[in-house]
Amino acid sequence: MDKLAILTTFIHNIVVFNIPLLYGTVGEIVVEKSGSLNLGVEGIMAVGAIFGYIIGCYANSLGVGIAVAFLAGAMCGLLFAALTVSLQANQNITGLTLTTFGLGIYFFVGNGLKARGWPVMADYSNIKNGFADIAIPGLSEIPLLGRGLFTHNILVYLGVAIAVAMWWYLNHSVPGLKLRAVGENPGSADSVGINVKRFKYLHICLGCGIMGIGGYYMGLNMSGSFNSSCWINGYGWIAVALVIFANWNPALAILGTFVFGFFNTLRVSGSSLASAFPGALGWLVKIPTQVYQALPFIITAIVLFASSVKNKQNSGQPGALGLNYFREER
Amino acid sequence: MGFHIVKRDQCSLIRKCFLYVGAVAAALVMGGIVLLCLGVDPIAYYTRMFTMGTIGNRIAYKVFENYLKDFVPLALTAVALSLAFKMRFWNIGGEGQFILGAIAAAFVAFKLGPILPNAVALLCMCLCAMLAAGLYGVFAAALKVRFGTSETLMTLMLNYVALYFLTFIAEAKADWNFFLDPSSVRPVFASFAKIVSFPSILTIGKFSLNICVVFTLVIGVLMFIYQKYTKHGYEIAVVGDSAGTAHYAGMKVNTIVLRTVFLSACLIGLAAAFKVGTSGILSVSITNDVGWTGIIVAWLSQLNTAVIFIVSALICVLHYGSTVAAATFSQVDSSFANMLQGAILFMVLAADFYTRFQIVIDKKGGRSNG
Repeated sequence: MDKLAILTTFIHNIVVFNIPLLYGTVGEIVVEKSGSLNLGVEGIMAVGAIFGYIIGCYANSLGVGIAVAFLAGAMCGLLFAALTVSLQANQNITGLTLTTFGLGIYFFVGNGLKARGWPVMADYSNIKNGFADIAIPGLSEIPLLGRGLFTHNILVYLGVAIAVAMWWYLNHSVPGLKLRAVGENPGSADSVGINVKRFKYLHICLGCGIMGIGGYYMGLNMSGSFNSSCWINGYGWIAVALVIFANWNPALAILGTFVFGFFNTLRVSGSSLASAFPGALGWLVKIPTQVYQALPFIITAIVLFASSVKNKQNSGQPGALGLNYFREER
Repeated sequence: MGFHIVKRDQCSLIRKCFLYVGAVAAALVMGGIVLLCLGVDPIAYYTRMFTMGTIGNRIAYKVFENYLKDFVPLALTAVALSLAFKMRFWNIGGEGQFILGAIAAAFVAFKLGPILPNAVALLCMCLCAMLAAGLYGVFAAALKVRFGTSETLMTLMLNYVALYFLTFIAEAKADWNFFLDPSSVRPVFASFAKIVSFPSILTIGKFSLNICVVFTLVIGVLMFIYQKYTKHGYEIAVVGDSAGTAHYAGMKVNTIVLRTVFLSACLIGLAAAFKVGTSGILSVSITNDVGWTGIIVAWLSQLNTAVIFIVSALICVLHYGSTVAAATFSQVDSSFANMLQGAILFMVLAADFYTRFQIVIDKKGGRSNG
């Protein structure tokens, strides 16, 4: 393979394999902006993935799959919201339990169905064709970057579109402003007549729904082959990290996905890069793969530390993150 | 008709018990409905699960020994986490601390095990594991105290750094890597069970009781006393209730936080040393998710040390039993335990609301002053 093709494939893979991070991150940003720290991303993505994939296959429609994944994720969000917003349960605990519960459902449903006949993605033409790459006319002609960045399946474009839309929504719309007020100081938001509960419920469900689609993407990207390791495989946790890296900004999350995805992809195809450019990149082979796997978390830890050291003016972290709001305790 | 929610001053013990038992029962009923839908008799399944298949089993003693191997690390980790949680310090890093403790213990076992007597080597293993885990935990606490770094997110990140460090050791086949079995071509962890391991102290019939179980129970009692009857324990409670009050009362809040988190992480390291010292081998899944499950156990137990032992015993039954039951009822995957565990905690969290708050129904037209 010529060197240019290897580079193109590398860029292509960064996007293809890491867009679920973007879904998870944008979803979590929406949830966290309402002041709720949801540590259940991994479980929610798993639930969205399994139901989206199975029902999507049975309906033989990518649209149904996306809708079901969104709804399944949103249902998890509803559970989270009911417990933490209405019933004042601790957010950390509820989120972690949601992860256990979600992964439990994932394997329970998956293994249960596998015993009776697993739907194979290749048998469902609409899903398979719907997930095929679409080249954006014009842009995809650019050498190197064209196939790397602008020839992707529809869910990649949808993910970027959602990220941009959420960026606009949070920063430039009235409900977005109100939402940030709720996350920053629910007491003040309440006093100016914002329905705090409704805002929290709606956005927790919306954010969790977006995570669900991310899970569905991972299932499709694995061609729906179900085995003992979960499709999500820790991406939910990286998404939680990425929220901090992106400073709670959905637009920056796109950049963050690329940075984290870069290391993720180096792990997989670092050796092919090294053999293509033995002079410049030959040293890549010597780095243990675990370094790449740990890097996202190390970087996030450093970002977390750095942002707590410098003044908090620029931090996008919602002021009331992780704290429940009880109206009569003002 | 409107209603509003007010805080409850106190909740009687009977009411609490009633609510929690009801919550667990409700979760079990929900699980039972799922089982019914799969065409499995829930009572038969639950019986098999909660007895862990020991009835009429000739090797029941073996089942119980293995069960205790799961129970010891979980109970100890949950006790350790409850210390930090009581202070409202969200130590999500149990997994990472456990892993570092396990690596440290294995390190000592390989390096000092052959030259020192068994008891001394075991003591060194425990101390090194505690130190490694404790320092890892206190690192996050120091950042929190000094710079206000969120400990929830920091410990979460550190979990994965530790995990990938362990997988690195597991997969790096090299001369320096004494953790791996030199006789195997593929990277496989070497066993040190023959060099050093925790002995059994008591044998009843075929059942032998490992010394770790006794240690764990003793530590549990000590921690109970520590929290309930010592000055340190009182300080933890005050800091947890209100750091401002503690500061006003002249307590050195930062010192208390650092000290308690160090102790909490140390105990997790000790749990890891017990685990590694009984199994005699490292593994990538050495934690068996105790860092996560421990959080759930600590919370289910309302951070009460005595209750933690009961709850971890039950959660272990759930996990161990579901694996056993999955062999009999092939339609039900062993992941049923995770679902059930999640459902139980959700129901308990919901029940918890009714112990802390009460719903007051407004009188007719009663929103005028609300």
